[in-house]
Amino acid sequence: MDHYKSRKWIVVFLLPLVIMFFLFFILPLGFVFIVSLTKWGGFGKMEFVFLDNYRYLFQNGTFRIAIRNNFIWAFSLGFVQITLATVVAMILSRKPLMWKFLRTIYFLPNVISQVAIAMMWIAIYNAEYGALNRLLELAGLSRFATNWLGTIETALPAVILQQVLYIGYFMIIILAGRMTVPDSLYEAADLDGASVLQQELYITIPMLKDILITSMTLAMAFGLRHFESTFLMTAGGPANSTQVMGIMLYNNLHSLTYGRANAIGSILIILGFFVIVLIRRVFGSSSFTTEIRQ
Amino acid sequence: MRRYNSFRSISTGTLKWLFLGFFFLYTLLPFLWLILSSFKTNYEFTTAPFSFPETWQFENYVKAIRISGLPRLFVNSLIVSVGSTALNLFVSSLGAFVFARERFRFQNLLLNIIIAGVLIPIIGLMVPYFKIITTLRLYDTKLGLIVTYAAINLPISVFLLYGFMKRIPRELEEAAVIDGCSFRQRYSRVIIPLSRMGLVTAGIFVFLYSWNDFIYALLLTSSVKARTLQLGIRFFVSQFFTDYTAMFAAIVITILPSIIIYIIFHDKIIHGLTSGSVKE
Repeated sequence: MDHYKSRKWIVVFLLPLVIMFFLFFILPLGFVFIVSLTKWGGFGKMEFVFLDNYRYLFQNGTFRIAIRNNFIWAFSLGFVQITLATVVAMILSRKPLMWKFLRTIYFLPNVISQVAIAMMWIAIYNAEYGALNRLLELAGLSRFATNWLGTIETALPAVILQQVLYIGYFMIIILAGRMTVPDSLYEAADLDGASVLQQELYITIPMLKDILITSMTLAMAFGLRHFESTFLMTAGGPANSTQVMGIMLYNNLHSLTYGRANAIGSILIILGFFVIVLIRRVFGSSSFTTEIRQ
Repeated sequence: MRRYNSFRSISTGTLKWLFLGFFFLYTLLPFLWLILSSFKTNYEFTTAPFSFPETWQFENYVKAIRISGLPRLFVNSLIVSVGSTALNLFVSSLGAFVFARERFRFQNLLLNIIIAGVLIPIIGLMVPYFKIITTLRLYDTKLGLIVTYAAINLPISVFLLYGFMKRIPRELEEAAVIDGCSFRQRYSRVIIPLSRMGLVTAGIFVFLYSWNDFIYALLLTSSVKARTLQLGIRFFVSQFFTDYTAMFAAIVITILPSIIIYIIFHDKIIHGLTSGSVKE
């Protein structure tokens, strides 16, 4: 009797969660994959076209640029940003002066909206009044001044760089992992005459392998799903030089080409999954319980 | 203890501080420039971009609030963020409680599926979310955003709360049952009060996500009725036209709440972020 009662309550307690999860995760995933195989404008009949949307996308020059750019994003975040974050975490782990304060400052941009940060960088990169050009002017380097976001050669590096250098998020995760490595390991290495650099290379990196791989996976996943700052700073331009899949997905949604939009969506989801599996294969990680989304 | 060796060479020390200093300046200087500029006249901003304002132009802020309709956007953002945080915490804490404190069939499978939701690139689901929200007749309403943000953050909240509730000692709950606590009371009188810290951590995450999100505010609203601050910022460029410094003032106003929350809660935010990344 009592057991039956608690059964009932388990169901009642789980129901809202399961319904919401189904409505916003399971159902949408099914929707994306199914609609990606059709030609559909959101109303009326769906025309089943099998893989036509995918074929169209992979033959489409703009989409190929977008995929390429997403991979540039993924590698910039996954390798450059993670490397920088690891180095800073290693330095902070030895508790230099004000390390807690620095840690707090480095993380600050992560609580501020991407929109506000993008607007700030639009101002910094601006051709006429932007801080970057004014700084170059002051340094007597005005020949390098340019319209950073409006020039094909500089737009993509400019958008990526401002984000790659915000290392706080991964630095915090890596630093937390570093703090769990027993001090005795470093003390022993110290006695054996290992330099700080050697200690970090041969103790920290192997000990933090799982966390580093998780961070790298996450960073690459962020690169693949990148949308906001590019959308605001360049909207994919000039001449598609900063185009990414997320923006194309949004544009297709707006032009009511839902089949194509969802084909991009499923490519995004599949690539994301692929990156996770691939990185885990390459680096041989076992843990799968440590993912956190921003 | 082991630090007597870290300053072996001067160059390592210099390099170390170069690194730390660079990222410190990189993080703060742009914001500082933005804030200082927001107190200048447009003339001063273009002629002396890196100086302190000659006279602090507080009227930029008055102008910013008047031109952008910030109060309304602010209230919308607040309602949406508080609403989605409350809804998310309610739903996820009920679920996490059952997952952490009960045994039933398919428990682990279901829990893992829900937590695996953090891996899904939500941006890929734009079309179905648009469809779901319009079908529920929630397009361009605050409720639509509340439900969406609450749902998107369910996996992370369940993950955090489950970890928290799992750690509460059995004995406390057993004592309560002996005292005659029912199933619901075990949740409301025992587990929830003991998970306060977990709820705060998860809550901050959901709140900041909802406050800062741009994509779904862009996708699911069309008028000022439900427009949030972040989406409002996008219209600043056309609203302020060439009044740059007033626009900067508006941007500074939008980031203030996040900074205030961060100053108060940075320990909890950093702790919440790392609680999942360190294996137990």
